[in-house]
Amino acid sequence: MNGRTRISEIGRFRRLPLQRKLMVVIMATTAAALVLSGISILIFDSVLFRGYLERDLSTLADITADNSTAALSFEDPHAASETLGALRARTHVVTACIYRRNGSVLATYHRAGTSSACPDNEVIQTIHITGADMTLVRPIMLNNRRIGTLTMLYDLRELYDRLRLYGATVLFLLLSSSLLALMLSSRLSAIIATPISQLVQTTTAISETKDYSVRAAKFSADELGVLVDTFNDMLAGIQTRDNELREALLTREQALEDAQNARDFLRTTLTSIGDAVISTDVDGCVVFANRVAQGLLRLPESELTGRRLDDVFSLIHEFDRKPVESPLSKVLREPDHVTSLTDTVLIAGDGTEMPIDNSVAPIRGDGGSIHGMVLVFRDTSARRRAIETSRLLASIVESSGDAIIGYDLNGRITSWNSGAENMFGYCAVEMTGSSTSAIALAGQDEMPGVLQRICRGERIDQYQGVRRTKAGKVMDVSVTVSPIYDALGRIVGASQIARDTTEQVRAASRLAELNADLQRSNERLARSNEDLERFAFIASHDLQEPLRMITLYSQLLVKQYPAELADQAEACISNIVGGTKRMRELLADLLAFTEIGGRPEDPPKPVDLNLVVQKVKENLKASIEETGAEVTADPLPVLVVNDSHFVSLFQNLIGNALKYRSGNAPRIHISLSETGAQLRFAVADNGSGIAPQYHDKIFVAFKRLHGKSIPGTGIGLAICQRVVQRYGGRIWVESQVGQGSTFIFTLPDIRYAEGAVNDRRTS
Amino acid sequence: MTGEPRNRKPRVLLIEDNPGDVDLLRLAFSNARFECELTVLDDGGEALALVRQEGKYATLQPPDLAILDLNIPKNDGLEILEAMRANGMYAEVPVAVFSSSSSPRERAAMERFRIRRFITKPSDLEEFMKIGSIVKELLGE
Repeated sequence: MNGRTRISEIGRFRRLPLQRKLMVVIMATTAAALVLSGISILIFDSVLFRGYLERDLSTLADITADNSTAALSFEDPHAASETLGALRARTHVVTACIYRRNGSVLATYHRAGTSSACPDNEVIQTIHITGADMTLVRPIMLNNRRIGTLTMLYDLRELYDRLRLYGATVLFLLLSSSLLALMLSSRLSAIIATPISQLVQTTTAISETKDYSVRAAKFSADELGVLVDTFNDMLAGIQTRDNELREALLTREQALEDAQNARDFLRTTLTSIGDAVISTDVDGCVVFANRVAQGLLRLPESELTGRRLDDVFSLIHEFDRKPVESPLSKVLREPDHVTSLTDTVLIAGDGTEMPIDNSVAPIRGDGGSIHGMVLVFRDTSARRRAIETSRLLASIVESSGDAIIGYDLNGRITSWNSGAENMFGYCAVEMTGSSTSAIALAGQDEMPGVLQRICRGERIDQYQGVRRTKAGKVMDVSVTVSPIYDALGRIVGASQIARDTTEQVRAASRLAELNADLQRSNERLARSNEDLERFAFIASHDLQEPLRMITLYSQLLVKQYPAELADQAEACISNIVGGTKRMRELLADLLAFTEIGGRPEDPPKPVDLNLVVQKVKENLKASIEETGAEVTADPLPVLVVNDSHFVSLFQNLIGNALKYRSGNAPRIHISLSETGAQLRFAVADNGSGIAPQYHDKIFVAFKRLHGKSIPGTGIGLAICQRVVQRYGGRIWVESQVGQGSTFIFTLPDIRYAEGAVNDRRTS
Repeated sequence: MTGEPRNRKPRVLLIEDNPGDVDLLRLAFSNARFECELTVLDDGGEALALVRQEGKYATLQPPDLAILDLNIPKNDGLEILEAMRANGMYAEVPVAVFSSSSSPRERAAMERFRIRRFITKPSDLEEFMKIGSIVKELLGE
C-alpha cells in the first residue's frame, strides 16, 4: 500500500507540467530549508537561552548569595529579606530562600501573589529542574566557609514563553516565506518554464501541421536559447529538405501524369482508329492489338499479346490462295520500305476469311534501330460488295428491256442503255451529250418541263407519252422519271425509264370498245329480261281473268241446268272445267315463278323460317291430316328475305313430299346445318324416291315424271330452284327409288343480325 | 253498320267493268236473298265523277255500300278511293274492295282508306255465292 502510493505519487509528479514541477521543487527546497533552519534555530536558541538563563541565574544566585553573606553572618533576616527582595526585578523568580547553616530559613522571598514553600535545601544539586521550574541552590560562602544556602525557584515559563514565541515566529516566517516562495517561484519558474512550454507548443504545432516554416521564439540566451536556436536551425534544415522533396514529388507526379496522358492519348487514338492496328516487338511477338484487330482476327487481346504474329495473322493471295510472305520478315528485310498489299485474304482465328488491304512499317527507336513493327489492315469486304453491287446495278440497267436514259441538270443525256438503243435506234455514242428533243415529236417534247419539276423536288407520276424512233416511227411509251441523288442527298440529275406501250395502248382501247359493247348488250339483255318478266307477269295475271270467267260460268252451267243437260253435255262441260282448271294452275304457277324475279315493292326483311314452316303446315293442313303425315323441323333461323318466296319454297318441297309419298304415312323433317359461311337446309322424306337419272330433270320448269295420277304442274321445283338461286344458293336432291328423298339447298349466311344493316341484293 | 234500321232497300254502288262478275254478283245477292238498289259503273272516269258528285251525279245520294274493283280501266282504283275519302259525303261510305289480285300495295290501302272488307274474286262458284252473305253482313242485315 505504501509502495504503490509512492509509485503513483511519483507517477503523478512526473506528469506534472514543468512549471509545476519547478514550483514543487522550489517549494520543497524552500520549505525544507525553512523547516530545517527553523527547527535548528529553535533548538539552538532554546539551548542557547537555557545556557544563558542558567548562567544568568547562577550569576544572580551568586550575586545574591554574596550579597547575603553579611546578613547571614550577622544573623539579620531583615537585611536578608531586602537582599532577596532585589530579586523582584526578575519576575520569573518565584521563590528564593536563604538557609542558615543548620538549614533553617533565614529569609524568603515570594513573588507577589504566590506563596510557595521554600524548596527543600536538602537538595544539594546546584540546578534542579522539575517540570516548569528550576531550582538553584547556592552555598553562601564566607572566607571559603559555607555559612548558609541560597535557593531560588525559578519559573521556566519565561523559557517556555520564549520558546513559544519563537516557534510561532518561526512558523509564521515559514508560512509567509513559503507563500513568498510560492509567488516568486510561480513567477520566476515561468522564466524557465515558459520558454520551454513555448518550445513545446511550437514543436507540437509543427509536428501537427507539418509547417516547417514556423520558428520557435527565443526568450533567453541561456541553454534554452541555445536549444531554441539549434531547434530553429534544424527546422530550417527540415523545411528546406521538405520543400525540395515536395518539388521533387510534384515534378515526378507531373512527369508521371504527362506520361500517363500521352499513353492514354495514344491508346485512345489506336483504339479509335477504324483500321486494325497490331504492333510487334523486334522478334515478331505481338505487343499491342487494338479492338478492331481483335475483332477482325476473332481473337481476344489475351490470346494476341505475346503470341508470334505469324501464328495469329496468316495471309493468303486472293486468287491463287498461296500464302503471302509474313509482313514481319518483309519489314525486317526492307526496313526503309512501307509495304502495302491488296488482294490478300486474311484467315482469322476461327477460320473465317476476309479480304484485306494491309500496310506494314518498322518502328524505329532513337538510334535508328528497329524496335518492332506496326501493321495496319482493314477489311475490304464491304468495299468489294459495294463495287459488286454497282457492277450488278450497271448490268441490270444494261440488260433491261426498257429504255433507261440518264440526264444531268441541264437536260443533257449522260447515259443511254442498250434498251434505249433498241427502242429508239440511236446508239449511246450518238446520244450522250445530246438533248432529249431527238426522240420527241416536234413541239411535243415534255422532258425539259419534267426535268425542271424534278429539279424543284416535285414528284412525277408515271405518265403516257409519245416518242419518235430514229426511223421515224411513232410509238406510245409509259414514262417514269425519277431524280438522281448524290451521296449528300442533292439532286444531280434525273433518269427516264420508257417502255413501249403501243401494243398496250391499242389493246387498252380495244378492251374499252369491247367493254362498251358488252355494256350495251348487258343493258339490252337486262331490258329484254325485264320485258319478258313483265310480259310473263302480265300475261299470267291477265289470262287469269278470262279463265276465271270460264270456270265460274261452267260451274254455273252445271249447277243451274243439271236436268236440261244431257250426260254428254255434262261430260263436255266437265272437260271444259277441267281444262280451265289446269290452265289456271299453270298460269298460277307461272305467275308464282315469275314473281320470284322480285317485285321492287317487296324488299327483303327479317323472316322467321319457323313461322314460315308453320304457315306452310297450315296451308297444307288438309293434306297433312289426310295422309297422317308428320312434319318436323330443326330450329330454323331468321333470314332477311321476301317471306312469300320462302313460303313458296317450303310449301313446294313439303307439298311434294306429301304428294310423292310411299305407302307409309309421310315423315318429313327439315334440318339445318352450317358449313363454313353457308347455311345448309335439308328436307327429308320417306316417300317414293327419285331415280338418279332424273335428279337434274325434275328442276326443269313444267317437267314432270308423273302423269295425271298425281296432280301438279311441274313448276314446283323450278320455283324452289329459282328462289334458292335468287338468294345466291344451290338446290339439289339426294334420293334413290324406294328410299325416300332429301332435297338439300344451301344459302349464303343471310341471317338477320340485330343492329346490322342487311341490305343484300342478290341476283 | 250504323245500327239504325233502314226502311228502304239498301243502295249498293258497284264499280266493276267485267259483266261476268256483275252478273255473278247479282246471282250471289239473290241466292243470299239480299235485295238492294244496285248501281253499276264500269268506267273509272264515271266512277270518279260520281264520287266527286260532279255533273249528273251532283244530286246523287251516296250509297250505303260501295263495292270497288281496283283494276278498273281508265283510273287507278285507289284514286277513286282517295276521291271518296276526300269528299265529305262519300267519306263515311263503307267500301268493300273486290279484286282479282291481292298485292300487298292493295292490301295496304285497306288501312289507309278504311276499307271494310277485301274480297278476292273467287274462281269457285260456291265461294262466289258466299259474297252475298258477306255483303248482307256488311250492311248489317
